[in-house]
Amino acid sequence: MLILIQGGRVVDPTAGRDGVGDVWIEDGHVVAASERKPDRTIDASGCIVMAGGVEVHSHIAGGNVVMSRLLLPDLYVSEAAPEGHPFAHAGGSAAWIGANYARMGYTIAVEPAMPPTNALATQLELADIPLLDRGALTVMGNDDQLLDLLRQREGKAAVRDLVALSVATSRGLGVKCINAGGASAFKDGMLNLSLDEEIPVYGLSTRKIMNALLDAVEEIGVPHPLHVHANNLGIPGADDSFVATMEAAEGRRIHFAHAQFYAYGAVDPANPGTGGFRSAAERITEAMEKHPNATFDVGQVAFGQTVTISLDVIRQFAGRKGANPKKWIITAGDAEGGGIVPFLYKPRGPVSSLQWAIGLELMLLSGDPERTILTTDHPNGGPFTEYPRIIHLLMDKEERDREIAGLHKVIAERSGLCGIEREYTFSEIAQLTRSGPAKLLGLADRGHLREGARADVAIYRDDKNRTAMFARARLVLKDGHVIVEDGEIVDWRAGHTLELTVESDKAMETRTDAYLDARFGAGLDSFTVPDEAFPVSDVFEDVACRA
Amino acid sequence: MAAWVKGGAADVSAAVEAAATLLAAAKTPIVTGLSADTSAVRAAYHLAGLIGASVDPVGGDGLYAELGPLSQFGNLNTTPAEAIGRADAVLIVGLRPWDRPIVQEIAASAPVRGRAAGSERTLLSLGGPGDGATRHVSYPAAAGGLAVSVAHLRAYVKGNLSGEAAYADLGRRLTTAQYGVVLYDAAELGDLGVEMLQGLVRDLNDLTRFFALSVSDGFQGRAVTQLASWTTGQPPRVGFGRDLPEHDPWRFDSARQVAAGEVDAALWLASLPAPRPDWLGSLPTIAIVGEGSADATGDVAEIVIAVGVPGETAGGALWNERRAAITYAPPAGPPADLTAAAVLAAIQNRLTQKKGASC
Repeated sequence: MLILIQGGRVVDPTAGRDGVGDVWIEDGHVVAASERKPDRTIDASGCIVMAGGVEVHSHIAGGNVVMSRLLLPDLYVSEAAPEGHPFAHAGGSAAWIGANYARMGYTIAVEPAMPPTNALATQLELADIPLLDRGALTVMGNDDQLLDLLRQREGKAAVRDLVALSVATSRGLGVKCINAGGASAFKDGMLNLSLDEEIPVYGLSTRKIMNALLDAVEEIGVPHPLHVHANNLGIPGADDSFVATMEAAEGRRIHFAHAQFYAYGAVDPANPGTGGFRSAAERITEAMEKHPNATFDVGQVAFGQTVTISLDVIRQFAGRKGANPKKWIITAGDAEGGGIVPFLYKPRGPVSSLQWAIGLELMLLSGDPERTILTTDHPNGGPFTEYPRIIHLLMDKEERDREIAGLHKVIAERSGLCGIEREYTFSEIAQLTRSGPAKLLGLADRGHLREGARADVAIYRDDKNRTAMFARARLVLKDGHVIVEDGEIVDWRAGHTLELTVESDKAMETRTDAYLDARFGAGLDSFTVPDEAFPVSDVFEDVACRA
Repeated sequence: MAAWVKGGAADVSAAVEAAATLLAAAKTPIVTGLSADTSAVRAAYHLAGLIGASVDPVGGDGLYAELGPLSQFGNLNTTPAEAIGRADAVLIVGLRPWDRPIVQEIAASAPVRGRAAGSERTLLSLGGPGDGATRHVSYPAAAGGLAVSVAHLRAYVKGNLSGEAAYADLGRRLTTAQYGVVLYDAAELGDLGVEMLQGLVRDLNDLTRFFALSVSDGFQGRAVTQLASWTTGQPPRVGFGRDLPEHDPWRFDSARQVAAGEVDAALWLASLPAPRPDWLGSLPTIAIVGEGSADATGDVAEIVIAVGVPGETAGGALWNERRAAITYAPPAGPPADLTAAAVLAAIQNRLTQKKGASC
């Protein structure tokens, strides 16, 4: 079917497009303008036409997400308004996640924390998210097999082979490390960990583990750089850890998760535990300018009740005392740990207000929005459904000032947000939410509208109320099929789970099989994600490694 | 593949038709059992959503002794592999965990990972059998039962009770562990006991690393809970009577519903072995059971359909107790013609057709 999206303001910063024009689609892809009569013409006059949104860091599946629902069954509201899917209105469910992303014009979402030990359940859950293409990052950095291999100084090839095998077995899209070595250190009694601190038993450090993983990701050719959740998240002085970790990458590609939670400069550096924190957004921005190899997603805070979910068990264990309501889960898992701590971002609270301001400041100071990805680290900073409001605040200085006026005065005292005049353009929003994250994931045919792109397209009515505009897309096309009309789902089709095509080494397979069998009483087969386990066929789609 | 309708042998399509007819006429149906692979459980949830049924897995009581305290309090847990590989002290609470293979594995091994590696493992028992078959230090339960025993122990650990009582000695052993684990069965301990035990573990973590590990219900309850969570955003027991999932462990307790006369039809899903509810024959019921099982007979329910058994005559994603994860179990032999998921999907398709025809 030949489709013409006609007369909209087409925003594609990768092609330098920002003006009224047409987009042609055929067989699920963007094609050159055709002289043939289109089978369907979509009148997009008065609308903004962008590529589908791409989410790189949102906790949408996996064991901790499941546990968060059990801990807080009333966090989300379920509504009785069937619209063709039995569970789309079940708050927090997989169908609800897919529907809410799609309504906002997003067409891909990536779960950033899939421990290989729980890969099948995570992948089954992802596969039940309709409408979107999905993916998951394989988490490494605390597993005994890797740490022992590093302790034994077995060399880069062995690490590469183990990483490749873990990604292949779990069917991941990339690799992530979360406070590398931290879960192991926690189990052995430590309650904090810095970049070069020694991890008990193994004699390693976060730096050594991360270095090994950075090299492995490059050697394998994983398109997405190593996705790093650094040490010391959320504490005054975390900016030191962030910058030190950036420098430790030594020019290799690195992606930082939820930078906002690290942009906390200690008010009293000599005594970081007292005096609180001030915005370090300028410092982080300067560091980013010096390190073009680095990218980050923001982890913007949104006010209200949420639940924090993280495999950073050291951080979550420390954070348990701030749980609101006062209940929490800590898991000493098979490699990573994990923690679930409910949290209330108070609109007039000084800490929450400052966190909120720092996230916006990071985005507004950025000289390169393509390396500054919009996330809330859902649900840690707040739900992803807050994206339209955040976009509004980025695009509208007056709206920002109105919001700031109702918040705590600490914003003016400890951040530079009030003095920033910048308003994001549509092109910059597209960089922040489309082209940037697609490039980051290595998905060459996503995040843009050039010829050959996937026909994942979002069409929004241009509305000065950007919150309303981006909350309910007028039309969303997934692979050329209209799935959303006027903010409602009209076609409950399934997307695919994106998996990296990676070869694993046979010798490492044999070795790992023996290791796992000794430890778990079950070998490598027990960790696989076979097609036969899924209730439907055609779940996965291959993504090639870098040449 | 065998099927029966009202006691007489039938072909599968006739049984599916009868099942769809029965459910189409039901006003307050229930879907229970769910001792099956995840694809079948998923299909059961979709069917329940379509017909407005309530859903209650067979592991309900044990599951809720765990899920209730979890939602009110939280927990501090570990896995079997971490317990076996790291723990230098393991406390077994009650009698029931002693029947599980993990006890022997713990007793026969020593910590090999973490700071306790190379040390001896101490096996402790609170309210256990005390029969000496496995080397351990035994502490009898207090007169008030297991939950009260755990409360006493917690008071000694916390310093709220002092002296040279046996529990003071047990408390010292726990606080000096480098990586301790307490193993329990939630159904045996009860929800108040589980909450007290998790409180004990919280207190211990102010001093050392200590985690809880509960044995599962044995009927896929943990896999069901995960699938329920991502399907409905809620734990099980859930009802779809008002076109949205409503989580209510009391209201949607199938035994209570049946006893109160609230149910007019039931679907029992047990392609894996599960204790058959006593009301099965007294209600208009569809039973989807494992082929070759004792339940695969025409007198078990009004409509009976025998299907492949996951891990034996069918593949399926199942809860793996030792791995503490959902893993795939391939068929051990030639696969059966029919899976539970396929039967449920066929019933749902037929119901959808009937609904369409009635509009």
